[in-house]
Amino acid sequence: MSAVSTAPGPIASEDRQAEQKWRRRSLVALAILLPLTLAETSYDSLREWLHGEDLIARDVDFGQSVPFGGSDWKLADLRGGKAGRLPDHAFAVIATFSVKIGDPDLQKQWLGCKLMLTDAAGRRWLPDVIAGVSLPAGVMNCTSAIFSGVKKGDTVTIGDIFIVPEDAVKTIRPAVGLSSERPWFLRFQRPPK
Amino acid sequence: MRIRILGNLVILGATVVLSYGMQVSKPHYADLTAPIPADGAMHDTIRARSFDVRLDKVVFARALKTNQFGRQKLLTTSGLWAVVTTSLTATAASTTVADGTWQGPTGLRYHQTERLGYRQDMPPHGVDPGLEKRGLLVFEIPPDQIRGASLLIAARQFGPLDAQARISLDGLPTSADGQPADVLPEYDLDAPPPQGKS
Repeated sequence: MSAVSTAPGPIASEDRQAEQKWRRRSLVALAILLPLTLAETSYDSLREWLHGEDLIARDVDFGQSVPFGGSDWKLADLRGGKAGRLPDHAFAVIATFSVKIGDPDLQKQWLGCKLMLTDAAGRRWLPDVIAGVSLPAGVMNCTSAIFSGVKKGDTVTIGDIFIVPEDAVKTIRPAVGLSSERPWFLRFQRPPK
Repeated sequence: MRIRILGNLVILGATVVLSYGMQVSKPHYADLTAPIPADGAMHDTIRARSFDVRLDKVVFARALKTNQFGRQKLLTTSGLWAVVTTSLTATAASTTVADGTWQGPTGLRYHQTERLGYRQDMPPHGVDPGLEKRGLLVFEIPPDQIRGASLLIAARQFGPLDAQARISLDGLPTSADGQPADVLPEYDLDAPPPQGKS
């Protein structure tokens, strides 16, 4: 009787030990798998977000030409003044870039093309429309350039019009963002006075 | 053995009660991701993440005069027109402010009117940092929704977890029966700004 009752003792404790071991292993696996699952499910959203935001600036000196979105970008001119119908304490600014086309498939390379002005405080201005002010002859904005049918090796002038408050005009710097290069964007040094 | 079974039953029962309670009290997804209000009063500048807004003036009128495709139109209503003038500025980057809602005292919400069609001074308002811009919002509301109302202004109509300016309209002069003190017979949207009081 006593022999029968003590026999399962060591086997049961061995079973329990094995179970505990697997339980511990499962807990450790959970700690690894949960973050991995989170990373995997959020990867697409994160990538999409990064491709939509101009987050990291690549500074470019004045006169320097930099490859960006398959073409070479250079700041051609930055000029501001009072023109057309403007709000009080505001200036009209025109920024133009000279771009040497490398990859002529602009509909792919220049998708989401955005010209901007940034100031010392990090504020950003997008192009605006001012009654009575138009781009100089031969200057296109980004969107029309995409559909202009340029060829490899052509040099085009891209530009746009902005409205900027008086307090920012002294420190503004032009910038360019393209979907194919985001989260990086180009920020140009102002031309010397 | 019996105590163990009883214990398990108690745990099971508690789990069921807890789960049911959580299910019943679960907030709706739309409430969990609702816009985050930034409160303020009339003539205060309210900071709503991507833009600053100040409510300058509310004018009530019985009819709206507007120019559509070169033709004069008079828009009438069985309630009242509320023409709200705001000053808008972007905080960090050029953006748009597109959504306005009139929230009555009991929580009824009136979305901005779409009867005016496209006009340059109607939403969406394009706003830039450092440049104050006058932005109009027009609502069609019953007269009893004015006292104790507030105005909700957001960048987009469905902006989960984005900021929403919530401006209390307690400062509006109303008579004893809750009607606005001053109602214009007609408001001309194309006339130069100063029309009506408050």
